[in-house]
Amino acid sequence: MNQHDPDSEPPGTGTAEDSRSAAHGIAHWLIRHAARSAPGPLARRLEEEWLADLAARDSAISELRFALGCFWASLVIAHEYCAAAVAIASPASGEKLTLSKFDGETGLVPRHWTTVIVVIAIHIAIFYALTAGLGVSFNKLISTPFRAQILPDGSKPVPPPSLPHPTLTEVRIDARIPEIPPPPSDPEERVLADPQPLIGALPLPPVVPSHSVSRVPGGPGTGFPNTDDFYPSAAKYLNEQGIATVRVCVDPSGRLTSLPTTMQGTGSPRLDAGALALARAGSGHYRPSTEDGRAVDSCYAFRVRFQLRTEDTH
Amino acid sequence: MSLQTLKVLEAFLEEPMTQLSGADIHQRSRIASGTLYPILLRLEAAGWFTSRWEAVDPSSVGRPRRRLYRLTSTGLKRASEVFASFNRSVLA
Repeated sequence: MNQHDPDSEPPGTGTAEDSRSAAHGIAHWLIRHAARSAPGPLARRLEEEWLADLAARDSAISELRFALGCFWASLVIAHEYCAAAVAIASPASGEKLTLSKFDGETGLVPRHWTTVIVVIAIHIAIFYALTAGLGVSFNKLISTPFRAQILPDGSKPVPPPSLPHPTLTEVRIDARIPEIPPPPSDPEERVLADPQPLIGALPLPPVVPSHSVSRVPGGPGTGFPNTDDFYPSAAKYLNEQGIATVRVCVDPSGRLTSLPTTMQGTGSPRLDAGALALARAGSGHYRPSTEDGRAVDSCYAFRVRFQLRTEDTH
Repeated sequence: MSLQTLKVLEAFLEEPMTQLSGADIHQRSRIASGTLYPILLRLEAAGWFTSRWEAVDPSSVGRPRRRLYRLTSTGLKRASEVFASFNRSVLA
């Protein structure tokens, strides 16, 4: 683990070190400065804790993200601990944490007010820039006065061309009223009176020889794992029970051909995950579906019941 | 209670008696450090967590000692109540 002087500039900036060590040094520098901005009693603890957790990161990007997150965390912690701070024993003692009222004159409240003042100042600066600086530039940009030029009216109005007067001719149309036979008073009488043409007009469906396939759906077979082995411990602790319906696709040898899915969950993501894990572990122990006694590829669903026993309940 | 806080508690409820460092909790809950550590301190200040330094010699293990967090009995009880009520409200 590289050690750097916390008061120095961020290492790696402007040096010829490789990018990984530079990122590592920057992350160290950020964490040390972030921890210093945390409330006094927490500063040493957070610095040691964050540097230790930084060592668990495996890439330069991850280290930088972690350090930036710590920087943000220090701001949040400082804000939250304005009123009450955590007084801890020294890192070397490792004793328990206790709460005590935080002294408001240790610099946190002034820092808070400094932030407020800076934000107000930024707003004033933006307002001033908009009204004075940018306004002047905009005035220069449109400094050329607008001039309105009225064109002389030298053309005379042209009268519209005269249209020919329309002449109307009388057209005579001879229309015959078709003779429509009156409908029967009762439609059923018409059908009953002459049923043969109506039946004969309909095409008859082709005759297909009937053949019934004896299909037996599959399910968990011999050697299928025990449900209790896949009951999540967290779900047991939370007294979660339920029935999940899991859909699997199985080949003739009883092996899964695709990942199982949950058709109907239990309402608990832990139990649903346990049911899927059970379904995956059961590959090779499924009883395949059969058609006319022959094992075939098929998909079917079965239910997984998670039920606590008396000794499991808390 | 925020979703991130629930995720932190869920990371512990898998093995309620386990002790986890901030890096371990990050791996389980995928919560960024900027959110994670304030949550840990809040839960510790509220008495749900307790923490202690890892009892290792940094020179022998080749890395700095970590701060380990553990659910207290109070935290365990309250966390299970929160999750039970959360599941009930989701199912309702």
